[in-house]
Amino acid sequence: MSLQDSAQGRVSNSYVTREWAVRPARGLRPGGRFLSRGRVAVGALHWLGWIIVSPRSVVSGGVTRELDNLGVGALRLVASASILVGLIATFQVAYQLKQYGAESVSALAIGWFATREVGPLVVALLVVTRSASAIAGEFAAMATSGELDALRAMSLDPVKYLVAPKLAAMCLALPALTIIADGLITLGGWVGTTFFLGFNSRFYLEQIRTSLSTSDLVIGVAKSFLFGFVIAIIASDEGLGIDRRVTAIGEAASRAVVYCLLGVLATDTLINAVFYFIPALVF
Amino acid sequence: MPSSTSSPPSSSERALEVHHLSGPAGSPLIFDIDLFVDCGETVLVLGPIQSGKSMLMRHLVGLECASTGSIAVDGFSFDPTRPDEKALRKFRTRVGVVFEGSALLRRISVVENVELPLLEHQHRSRSNARDAAQELLAEVGIEVEADTMPVQLGRAGQRRVALARALALHPRLLLLDEPTLGLDSQAAHDFDETLQALQRRYNFGIVIFSHEVRHAYAPANEIDILAGGRIIARGSRESLLESDDAVIHGLLHRRERE
Repeated sequence: MSLQDSAQGRVSNSYVTREWAVRPARGLRPGGRFLSRGRVAVGALHWLGWIIVSPRSVVSGGVTRELDNLGVGALRLVASASILVGLIATFQVAYQLKQYGAESVSALAIGWFATREVGPLVVALLVVTRSASAIAGEFAAMATSGELDALRAMSLDPVKYLVAPKLAAMCLALPALTIIADGLITLGGWVGTTFFLGFNSRFYLEQIRTSLSTSDLVIGVAKSFLFGFVIAIIASDEGLGIDRRVTAIGEAASRAVVYCLLGVLATDTLINAVFYFIPALVF
Repeated sequence: MPSSTSSPPSSSERALEVHHLSGPAGSPLIFDIDLFVDCGETVLVLGPIQSGKSMLMRHLVGLECASTGSIAVDGFSFDPTRPDEKALRKFRTRVGVVFEGSALLRRISVVENVELPLLEHQHRSRSNARDAAQELLAEVGIEVEADTMPVQLGRAGQRRVALARALALHPRLLLLDEPTLGLDSQAAHDFDETLQALQRRYNFGIVIFSHEVRHAYAPANEIDILAGGRIIARGSRESLLESDDAVIHGLLHRRERE
């Protein structure tokens, strides 16, 4: 199919069927972006269930591949950034508390918010910068090269074959990365507290043990699961919803990062608000 | 002069039947297309760039919504103006498509590319689908390891894999968009020969959408000239060569000029 043929003054897809990818330009409808993301999310959740009951399918093979790419591939970035975040948190908290002569409780503060807030958020933001643009760019490139059309021409649902494996991998990888990041932020805090602030290791570990709670860890991991969901759906939707212009690939990747960042922050705000206004939820 | 564009050829075994197809709805780029292909027949839709060839092909697999018309493949029809997903799914199992540039999925292996339609539509086991995929690949002249990726093959190899994938469900109709574009003359000739051998074996109808006049010299039973979204002439190469229409003359005599 020549590019010129397909671009005869027609830049956006027309509405053909209820297939997700062939739809009106989202910008032309109020709430179109939310509608299209909702459709991708519903479709992906449906196929996610199918992956769980059919663990030997070709799609499940895709989950392993995506886990390797989105999860294992992000390990080095998450590990190094987490240690640095631990150090930054130590210095920042110690600096603030120094005015009150309470420098010694900076380890407590790290334990309080590393697992519940900083860990999941830092991991989500790192994964957004690393993977959201990659996912959107990959799908957008597939759209411009005709791969998505080829899938649809065989009645193969792109949400099933492309989005669901990424969603599954993201929802598994983010909690795992968050647990690793929690540990490494604490490690960074130990380095800062012990080597730079001069407190001994035993003191630090005791403070951390006092401040860490299982509920914070569980809430942090649950948050990261939701962040994974939000990132996978928004990035996929941005990549899949493009028209067939070559420049659309870069635009989709850039939009994916912006909307994923906003999506993660909005989700975090919502969760924090829920826990603040309904304290009974904190078990 | 070429024959009238509205008279369908008569045949008992029709692979494709298109009547009065116009679209896409809202901003039509093809107008009142009639197209008839019998099983075992090859029809070339020849037209200059931006004549609507690709748009016509997209309509034939339900990737665009038509404003008017009807499409039937192997006696199974669907309403292209209001495509129903279930009907479209059944319809698409009867049509194989080779897109321009092959459009293979680059993240999965060559064998997995061919396996996909078998797993989705025939619900075969992985091992069974894998064997069938390897057989299909052997039929189009490709022998690869299980983990060979599409990028490891050349352009001609990828085109053959796309052909194997299109034939996986044994369709009655095969649509090819610029199938030999970018191939050297020997590779293009070999591809045509493979295609003809497979057609003789499985008796499917073929529609080639191309701007390359070389296809008119391969055994295309009929040539439809598409210009400005309309079929302006239809007939055999010999009858079309006699035309004094500027577009037809320009398309068919390019080979002599080159």
